[in-house]
Amino acid sequence: MEIEIKNKSEKISNSQTKQRGKALFKRLFSSLLTLFLLASLLFILVRLSPGDPTQKFVSAQLSPELSQKISEKFMLDKPVLEQYFAFLSNVAKGDLGISYNYRLPVLEVVWEYFSFTFVFSILSICIQLIFSFSIAQFVLQRKNKFLSKGISNLSLFVYSIPSFVLGVFLIYFFSVALNLFPISGLKSLDYDSFSFSGKMLDQLWHLVLPLITLSAAGTAMFYKYIKEGMDDVLHQTYILNLKASGLKEKEIIKKHVMPNALSPLISVAGIELGVLLGGALITEVIFSLPGMGRLTVDSILSRDYPLIIGCVLTAGVVMILANFVADIVKIKFDKRLLKGLLN
Amino acid sequence: MNRNIIKISLLLILPFIFTFCDSKTSKQNNRIVIGISADVQTFNPLFTISVDEGAITELLYLGLFDFRWNEDDGAIDAHAMLAEKWEWADDSSSIKIYLRDDAFWSDGKQITVDDVIFSFDAYSDPLVQSRLYGTFKNLFVDEENHIDVKETFEIISPFEFKVKFPLNSVPNLDVISLPIIPTHIFKDIKRDELSNSEYNFKPVSSGSYYLKKWDKNQTITLAANKNSFLYDNEQINEIVFKVVPDYSSKILQLQKGEIDLLELVKVDDIEEIESNGDLKIVPVIGREYDYVGLNNIDPKAYSGGEIVPNKLFGSKNVRKAISYAINRKEILNEYLLGYGELAATPVSSIFQIEFNDDVSPYEFNLTRAKSLLASEGWIDIDQDGILEKGNDKFSFTLYYPSGIPLREFASMVVRNNLKAVGVDVKLEIVELGTLIDYLFEKKIDAWMLGWYVPIPVELKPYWYSEFDSTPLNFASYRNVKVDSLLDLLQTKISVAKRIETIKDFQKIVHDDEPVSFLYWIPNICVYNKRIAEINITPLGTVNHCWEWRLK
Repeated sequence: MEIEIKNKSEKISNSQTKQRGKALFKRLFSSLLTLFLLASLLFILVRLSPGDPTQKFVSAQLSPELSQKISEKFMLDKPVLEQYFAFLSNVAKGDLGISYNYRLPVLEVVWEYFSFTFVFSILSICIQLIFSFSIAQFVLQRKNKFLSKGISNLSLFVYSIPSFVLGVFLIYFFSVALNLFPISGLKSLDYDSFSFSGKMLDQLWHLVLPLITLSAAGTAMFYKYIKEGMDDVLHQTYILNLKASGLKEKEIIKKHVMPNALSPLISVAGIELGVLLGGALITEVIFSLPGMGRLTVDSILSRDYPLIIGCVLTAGVVMILANFVADIVKIKFDKRLLKGLLN
Repeated sequence: MNRNIIKISLLLILPFIFTFCDSKTSKQNNRIVIGISADVQTFNPLFTISVDEGAITELLYLGLFDFRWNEDDGAIDAHAMLAEKWEWADDSSSIKIYLRDDAFWSDGKQITVDDVIFSFDAYSDPLVQSRLYGTFKNLFVDEENHIDVKETFEIISPFEFKVKFPLNSVPNLDVISLPIIPTHIFKDIKRDELSNSEYNFKPVSSGSYYLKKWDKNQTITLAANKNSFLYDNEQINEIVFKVVPDYSSKILQLQKGEIDLLELVKVDDIEEIESNGDLKIVPVIGREYDYVGLNNIDPKAYSGGEIVPNKLFGSKNVRKAISYAINRKEILNEYLLGYGELAATPVSSIFQIEFNDDVSPYEFNLTRAKSLLASEGWIDIDQDGILEKGNDKFSFTLYYPSGIPLREFASMVVRNNLKAVGVDVKLEIVELGTLIDYLFEKKIDAWMLGWYVPIPVELKPYWYSEFDSTPLNFASYRNVKVDSLLDLLQTKISVAKRIETIKDFQKIVHDDEPVSFLYWIPNICVYNKRIAEINITPLGTVNHCWEWRLK
């Protein structure tokens, strides 16, 4: 009897693994299809839009022959369909082409900017989640209506401040008036003369204001999600039953409140992370940071077609990955979600 | 929760401690910081396109000659640089150049004739696609515009060579002035791969400064090259170009002393800057003018392959009327606060010897504008406030690029001014790249843009009537007499004849008024007074920075 049950459970677990594998494959396939469609649509759109990448090579000091040569080099003189097939064949080989501006492989250019954006976004999302969660917990523990309302209104106020206003205000207040933080940049001019810890601190010192600018609105938004989500769940009758049955409050919050309250938050956090990884243009411009936002806009303005596609594809990939990570985190909180998410 | 807050607060406080303990200023380091808006994409002068790229690479790579602006006559004087001296042949068919023997690359190798010849070969090679490709028509070139090195150069010794010019060419020093690149670095790299070479980012240079460090999109640090023949003990140790894309941030850093020099400062900020005793303002007028472009030909007919006069702007009287009707002085005074000067032609007053004083800008005169329009048959018959001629109303769309507040303001003034003479103007804002595309295709009637004029005076690309070879003639201006003058300027003529020709050109263009010239916009430079012996000219700001000193 025992062996039978064991065999049966093994069979069930095998079929579950198969199902999971199949679902994962489906998800991977649909992600690749999304990226392919994104790249194709983008390829056609940028070529249909007005403007010409060789425009910058036309001036009184440059010869008309130069723009013609550049045009030939980058196949811009060929029909769009021919360019598209060449693009597909290169992408299949993992080559996104050469940036017209940088005259370097697109992936090399994107990597330089993405590495900063990656660190910056991860720091920002951590700050957003830690601060919002801590404040929500603080407010819930106090059960003070006045405090709760005050912080709710404050979060709404912070959320509604545009990042360029907040960034400029922070610069005026902390950099100009108080002279506590640098106005822009990522490193001091004497960075190389610092010790290792000095270098780390120097970068952190430069990132304080940009991180506040980038994280403020997200923190306010997450606070609302967490506070209202947990508030709702805490008022459910089953929580009252659990309390009545003598379960500790900590355990109730960890095992019963959090999985139910945080699920929507994690989905939003996934999207927010994806957006951050795609670049934070305004913060990057105000604080002169070398991120994906600036690279993407510059590539669009200069009609650097391969770089535009490289930037947007990177944003697409990170968005899909960030959502995937968010789903995994959600499952960690609530195993019931696995089936739904895989389908 | 409280513990979290304490941890995070500690993280935030630590940098303050660090700041107070560890920060140094530029002043302590014999260094100056120059603010720029965008990073460079290469340090190889073969491929530099933007103004900042050009300025930085020309500090790193010296040319044969050092060109300096002559304040007295607005001409460019050539001084010795890598070329110690030079001798023209009596008939100007060749020039003998003596290189200095104390010039070295930053890796210690001596600069010789081989470097010079290699440079000319590389710049003109169609495989390289350098920024100067196709511009060597005054030297011996093949059908692919590649310089025929054997025909052009005669090597006399490692430090002496001759440059020979073909018959009917226009020999001058400008033709052979380009930043020289090191042959020993680039000779083994395939020509079509030169643009990707690692040496484009780690330059082996010859200038008074070498590239010490490049933090992409942050700073470019140049350090004094003590082995350079230009070096002296009082030279500033480090020139840092700091990339700050946001204009307000640049101004704040200038005020705070984090940036020592800034170009293209807006006039709105001048009052505040003037109150800062550490800063000095230097407006440089005469490199950039704005204009209202008027298509002289009909866009629809042109797209069908025909060239017929534009029904609105085909007549020079109408174009003059537009200029009379625009109150340019109002824009100059209201927006540019009096900085800048009115423009009459595309030749700037900085070119003192070529500038025609007899040509003055059309004054604001609505009566004159109305009478000129009436003389061309534009009359408001139906009394609706808009002029008519037959079935056509005098109504057009004025396109202008987004993101430039001066042009937004000016276009509104133009619309209001022209309304007063019965011309209906609709304003349309478009992205710059899109607008340029429209102009190359000649598909719009009117626009507002500006030109950054080259030094020395270069007119043919903008005003010659052969549209295929001069795509920058956006207004499609055609005048046989002007064509012949522009052709004449491309030939070997005396300096006096050249001056006379350029003056004649201005006279005709002023009479034709192909576009409505508005005003010369100043490049307002601001620098910290701790920099001494700085000379900012229309040729550039940093091009002789090794001569600057710190007080």
